[in-house]
Formats: sequence, C-alpha cells, structure tokens
Amino acid sequence: MKVLSPSGLHYPITVGELAKKRDDEVQRSEPLFTYFYETIVEEGDKWGEKKNVKKRFPVKFEASADGTITKWFIKEGTVIQRPGLELLEIEEPCTHETQFGGLCVDCGKDMTEVDYLTKELNSERATVNTTHDNVALLVSQQESRRADEETKKRLLSSKKLHLIVDLDQTVIHTTCERTIAEWQADPENPNYEAVKDVRGFQLADDNVANVAANWYYVKMRPGLQEFFDRVSQMYELHIYTMATRAYAQAVAKIIDPERKYFGDRILSRDENYTDKLKSLHRLFPNNTDMVVIIDDRADIWHYSDNLIRVPVFNFFPGAGDINASFLPKQQELVTTPSKSKVAESTAKDKSGAEGEAISAFSVAANPTETVPAESTNGVVSELEQQLIQMGAGESPEVLEQQVKEQEKVIISQQTERPLLQQQLVLDKEDEEAEESESPEAAENGDSQSSEHHRHRHSLLHDDDRGLEVIEDNLRRVHKAFYDEYQKKKIMPHGGRVAELKGEKSPKKRPLDDAIPNVTQLMPRIKRKVLEGCTIVFSGIIPLGMDVENSDFALWVKSFGAEISLNVNRSTTHVIANPDRKTTKVKKAARYPHIKIVNAEWMFQCCTRWERVDETPYTIEVDAAERGGSPFEELEDDSINVTGDEEGEPYESPTNLDMSDDKWQSLGDEFEEFMNESDDTEDASASDSESVRSTASTQSDAKGTKRKRKRKTDSADGSEAEDSDASVNSTSRLQKRKKRTMERVTSLTNVVSADKSSGLPSPETTGPEEGQGEEDDKVFDPQGQGVDLASDYDDGLEAEMMAEFEKSGGEDDA
Amino acid sequence: MFFIKELEKTIQLHPSYFGPLIRSHIHRELLLKEEGSSTGKFTIVCILDSFDISDGQVIPGSGAAEYTVHYKAIVWRPYKGEVMDGVVTSVIRAGFFVDCGSLQAFVGRNMIPSDIKFDANATPPQWTDNGDQIIEKGTNIRIKIKGLRSEVDKMYAIGTMKEDYLGPLQS
Repeated sequence: MKVLSPSGLHYPITVGELAKKRDDEVQRSEPLFTYFYETIVEEGDKWGEKKNVKKRFPVKFEASADGTITKWFIKEGTVIQRPGLELLEIEEPCTHETQFGGLCVDCGKDMTEVDYLTKELNSERATVNTTHDNVALLVSQQESRRADEETKKRLLSSKKLHLIVDLDQTVIHTTCERTIAEWQADPENPNYEAVKDVRGFQLADDNVANVAANWYYVKMRPGLQEFFDRVSQMYELHIYTMATRAYAQAVAKIIDPERKYFGDRILSRDENYTDKLKSLHRLFPNNTDMVVIIDDRADIWHYSDNLIRVPVFNFFPGAGDINASFLPKQQELVTTPSKSKVAESTAKDKSGAEGEAISAFSVAANPTETVPAESTNGVVSELEQQLIQMGAGESPEVLEQQVKEQEKVIISQQTERPLLQQQLVLDKEDEEAEESESPEAAENGDSQSSEHHRHRHSLLHDDDRGLEVIEDNLRRVHKAFYDEYQKKKIMPHGGRVAELKGEKSPKKRPLDDAIPNVTQLMPRIKRKVLEGCTIVFSGIIPLGMDVENSDFALWVKSFGAEISLNVNRSTTHVIANPDRKTTKVKKAARYPHIKIVNAEWMFQCCTRWERVDETPYTIEVDAAERGGSPFEELEDDSINVTGDEEGEPYESPTNLDMSDDKWQSLGDEFEEFMNESDDTEDASASDSESVRSTASTQSDAKGTKRKRKRKTDSADGSEAEDSDASVNSTSRLQKRKKRTMERVTSLTNVVSADKSSGLPSPETTGPEEGQGEEDDKVFDPQGQGVDLASDYDDGLEAEMMAEFEKSGGEDDA
Repeated sequence: MFFIKELEKTIQLHPSYFGPLIRSHIHRELLLKEEGSSTGKFTIVCILDSFDISDGQVIPGSGAAEYTVHYKAIVWRPYKGEVMDGVVTSVIRAGFFVDCGSLQAFVGRNMIPSDIKFDANATPPQWTDNGDQIIEKGTNIRIKIKGLRSEVDKMYAIGTMKEDYLGPLQS
C-alpha cells in the first residue's frame, strides 16, 4: 500500500528525520517520520503587546497500517508541497481481499473500525459480491477477477458455459390453490393425469396471510429432468429467481433432488439487493462472455444480450407468476397476452378443424388455449387486471406493500380457487355438449382421448413442448461458442506475430482474446432470423404505449427485424390481431407482398430462432376487404399514375422527393430505356398494374423475352404471370385476387415473395434490382396525398377500435 | 462460552388473554419470543423456569397490559479463540460457511489446511483432501473463532481450521 501525503496538513511541510528504515516492520500508529511546518502565530509578551511570529512546529507522522516498509519516496529535508504525493510504500501482511460481515477472512480483523488514522475504510477494499447465497461475503475487484479467471479455465476445459435458469414460469409453474391436491387424490378427475406429478411443499417460516401452512403446488415443465440431464453436459447451471430463498430452495429440492445440477448455485430475491431487476453483474462482475440466461421475461434483464427468452410456461391457467408482484409490472400484461390468447385460441379452433396444423407444435405462449376462450380469459384477465392494479398502484420503494400484494394473490388463489371454477365451467359445458351430442364435443375430445369416454374435459393440459425448443437454442449457442473457440485457438492471431517479433511476454497473451463472447455470438445468430423483415404491429400493443420500446418490439428487433409504425412499401409483415380488422390490416391487404400474420408467428420465430413459415399463421383477409372500397381508391390512384407515367416517361414532377437510391434506379431505368429503344413502349409503361390492361399483347411478349434473356432462374414464374397479365381480359379485381392468392400459398419465404411482387409488372424498365424501388416510385408519389390522409384516419380509427374493444373486454370480464 | 444471565423483558398482552391462565400466557410468550434470539452480544439458549412477573399495567388507549418479567437464562456468547462445533451450510471457492447456532461463521481459503483443496467439479462442489476429510454441505465441523463482530441482532465470525483437532468431525 502506498502512503500518500494526506489532505488536511499544513502544507508545505519539510520532512525531518525518518524514524524507520527500509524493510523495517511498522505497527499501526507508530511514528514513521517527523516533519516541520511553519506558520504565523500571535504571541503576547509580558507587557501585553501582541505580535505575529513565524514559528516552526515539529510533528510526528504515524503509520496508518501494519506492515513492512518497502520503499521510501522521501528523504530528510524533502519539502512536500501538496496532498496526494507519494511518501512511502508499506507492504501489508494482509490486504483484506475477502471480507465476511465486516471481518477480514484472512486475519479476522474488524474492517469497519474507524479511528483518527483511518483515511479509507478497510471495508471499501472488498465491495464485490459474487456468492450466490450470501450477502455478507464480499471480495475485492482483484480477487473476483482471479476467481473468474479460474472458473473460466475450468469451464473451457470441460467445454461448458454458464447457464442462468429462472424458475417461475420458465421451468416450473406454481399455484397455491388447494384444488390441485384434491384433484391429485381423485383418479376420477379429468385433470388427474396432468396433476399427478405435481409436487407440493410448505415453507416453515411462511407467514403469508398469517396462515402458517400455505401449500405451494409445483408443476415441472414436461421433460424437465431430461432437459437438465442433457443441458448440464453443456452448461453449468445456476438458479436466479425473484422468489424468496426458502421458496427457491424448496423448488430446487424438487427439480434437483440430488443437487447435481445446481448444487448451491441458487440466487434468490433475498440476495439480489433489488426487487426490480436481475443483473448478471451480481454473479459475474467482470465479464459475462460465457453466460447464457433463460428466462420468460426480458424486461427485468434489461434485454440483455445473454438472454434466451423462452415461451412462458403457464400450466395452471390464471395462476400467473406468484412471485411476480415483486417484479416491475410486465408491459403487455394488460391487454396483449389475453388478446393474443384469444387470437391463438381462435386460430386453433380454426386450424383444429383443418388438421391441427398449429397445435401439433404447441410451444404456444400459453398451452391452454383449448380451454374455451370466454371462461379462461375472463378469469385470467381479471386476475391480471388485479395484478396490474397492484403493480401500478405501488410506490416502488415499499416492499411491505409488495408482500401484501403477493399475499393478496395467494389468498385469492386460496379462497376464490379460480381453477376449480374454471373446471366447473368446463364440466357444465361438457354436460351441455353431451346432451346435444354436438360435433364440437368430439372435436375437443380428440385432444383428450383418454378422458373421452367420460365426457369430461380437463382444464389442465400437459402438452408443453417449450423445453425442446430451449434445448435446441442452448445447443446452438454452445456449439457456436466452442466452434469459434476452436477456430481461434487453432489460428493464433497476433500473438504469434508478437512472439516472432520478440515482443515481451507472448505467454501473457490474454486468455480473453481466444474466448468468443456470448454477448456478440448470440445476437449474431438471432439477428439472422428475421433479417430484412419490416414489421408493423396492429392491434397487438396497447394504445398509448411507445411501440418502438414495447416488449414485443424489442424482442422482435433483437432478431434483426425492423419495426415501423405504419404500413408502407418496405413493410414485409403485419402482425395483427385476427379479431380486429384494423385499418392497418386493411391497408396492408392492399399490398400483396405484405404478409398479415397473427402474433403466434412472432412467438414461434422468436422462440425457435428460425423463420417459421407464415402460412399457418396468416390471417385471412377476405376478398371483400381486399378488393372493397380501398381497392376503388387504389384504382383511382393507379390510373392517375399511369397517366403521369405515360405522359412523361423520362422525368416527371412526381419524382420530386425521391431519395438517392430511387434516383439511382431511375437512372438505371433511363439507361435501359435508351439502350433498348425498340422497346420504347414497354419502357414507357410503368409497372403499375393498370398498364397491363392497356399494354398490347405484343409488348408483353417482348417483355417476357427480354426477361428471359436477363433472368433465367425466375423466368418460369414470371412468364406465367406475364402471360396471365397479357391475356388479361378479366376484371382487374379478379386478377388481383388471383395474384394475391398465389402469393400467399405458393411462396414460402419473403425473398421470393419480394421478387414476385415485382413480377406481375410487364417487366420492361429498370434492371431487376430496381424493381422494388420502381414499385415505390410508382406508388409513392401518386399515393402520397391519399396515403397521408388515410394514415391519419387509420390512426384515429385504430384508436377508436381499441378503445371500443377495451371497454367491451372489460364488460365481458 | 455459556453463562447464566439475569434478564428483563417487557411483555404486552392483548386483553383477550386476561383471565385465570394469564401467567401461562406470559410464560409462553416469553419462551416464544426470547428463546433462540440474539441480541448481537449473546444468544439466549434456554430460559430457566423461575421467573418473576411484575404487576400488569394497562396501557392507556389500547387496553393491552404490560408486564415486566425478570428471568434467568442460559446465554451463549462466543469469544475470539473459542472452539465451537457447527454445520456447513454452503461451500464455495473462497471457503465455506458454518452455522453454529445463531452465529454464522465463514472459513476462508487461507484458514483451511493446504492439503484440503476445493473441488469445483464435484457435484456438489466440496473441499477435500482426497482422503477421509470431505467438507460439503451438511458436514459437522469443528472450528476456532478468529475474529468476531456483532451488529444489532447478528453476529459474524471468521473461523479457522488450521490448528490441531479442528476440521470435519467423524460422525
């Protein structure tokens, strides 16, 4: 430790005699050296006269720490001008790097003692907490770095990464409703199969609602043991939960009875310092390069790059996360989940008849959609509403209130027993169904074949497949990490050169260099998923919320998609609520290349980390809406355009506000036009569809020829399209419909879809790359005025719709 | 070290307890609240049976009665240098935690004999000399207090294992 000249001395000071030599032992408060300072004092003499005298005072400088003096920076006669200069160096026998409850672990001294020599509290030396289950043990930065390095080496040698696992709704789901116990005891109950492996426990020090014996019922996500078995080969598992320590430990005992997956690596709310956030730096203060998180909520992690967000495990409908009242309010909780649930259930109802295309794979955010929508959603939204109110009304600092909130949730689960109520509703419906022998019963029944003969439907469904998806993702990350690590290890970069150059300590080449960074790796993998998509939300995100920063938007963005607020040319997907035909949807329906899908598509993409085929999730927009009044409007526009374009094929006033690339494509177009002067007619024709009706068959044929010349790969499709267009005697409406139909069904990915969007045009002007932009050019300028107006209307209409929906929903609830 | 100490405690009793069994209520309250509690200096281990209850005084405004109870109790006060037995609660790379009744102690890496090493790859992690000495969660262990600090209702201790006859207990 270097001893610096302290502040508060009377500078300048002159060093007198050094009391200790180099390598001498010193004790705390022993004098190290003497020094003098001069000051002017008032002195009175015996005649009562006062005068100012300059005087010299000797002072002893005392050691502030035990140890051995290793170096003197001063010698006799040195004048020290100011504070902060080095005086000497003392090597301490103990640097108090690890402290426990204010005591140094190595020497047992009290670190919180303060005396006249204390410049800095010893407890300041160790401030980092890296222990899972204890807040009293602190280490210094240095020590924690050393520990990190050691852990890193160990993990690399065993080819593992860290994995932080959240408990509630990620790997388990807990409820406090004692109905579960009754169902468990009754093999006749339709839910018996689903709940028979539910485990209950009580917490000894639990005083929730002053009911000493509160039972918690824990359902493990299906396949959890196998999941842990396999994942623990690749990852070192940690638990990080917002539940209390007792709860976390009880759950850990259930999911890991032999303590072989988690050991003591359990971090709970009690050790987290804050209720609002989970922070990787709590456990990994130095670097998070090798850490992966699985959690069902991204907001409490601040959308960390290490996070793999997993589909919510919601086994007990309406139970939610019993520990959630401590967390910040979940953004979309108000409307979206219930809305999307409605969406999913309706989608499933539909597809159920069509062969269960979706439900075959049910990573669905909520695996309980098959429950009649009204019954669950009513309860769910009510409960959520309650949760929200509690979440919203809180002043964030009041823990007590949060505890009360949790109590309230638990009490309501205990007393109201929503699950039982829901089952009763189900049973009642079943009875009705039985009486009428409606086909609906059969349809519902096939998913419940085991119970079918009893004609009672279970409320709980044990069909969650979420863990498989999580495991795939984890495997992918692990593989990517170690592939890259191997690559880097084989190719010694820089270090080798440095070695040859004879630069110092090639051995000391930091280990970090060779280690890939998960925080870069994962976003890279993720970003490929939805790259190039521009997504518009419609009827998904509650009004009055910042769309760009909403939970969903951030989620989708992390997969490389872009978010735009309104439907425009670059939009590729509209994620909409199938129940509400918003104006955005209607508008998007006019652009055939835009895929209108439900939120489930987004969930699927984001949980499976792959671009899922949109077809099963497409929201049908019926012909009337596609070709209805908006079509009229559009037709007018296109006629205008054609007029413009035909009138002024080279330049036009419509191009006034073109961006650079548009100019570029225009240039291309122009060039093309000049080169192929025989195709003048074609070139002058714009690619708006109205042209097709006017264009001659001959020119179309030419266009086809030219296209074949330029682009052989897509010739087939385009030819068909073109001929379709050229023979075109039917109404434009039909044509348009046909085209959109083709697009939706035959094209599976957007790349080709984009191409096809350009294809129907006579394909005369500009080179291929410019096609999309040409589209823009043609539509944008002429449609601008109208679009603006309609945009405005759209917004207004959407708002009103949402308001209306909301109030309707509340009534329902 | 254990002591017998005379203590005093004020107990408030709700009016619903007023009746012939009032003494036993007070007694129960005393045992419930005091036994096992830590004052920061010592822990009350056991309250002895003979105690002295003052006359009750009704508190104006609430109706509850206040009693002052004088009692004797066996208390435990740890000292620096004391050897004590405890149970390992958690094992980490930096050492391990030991619970000795109300006192939580930590034994750091440098306080563990050098032949006992940390094995992070074991499940669960443990400190071991690859012989018969294994320190993991639940192990009974004998340590010596090297440092002690008390807060309001809590005590922290640093333990050492680096002396003769200290370490895991064979059980």
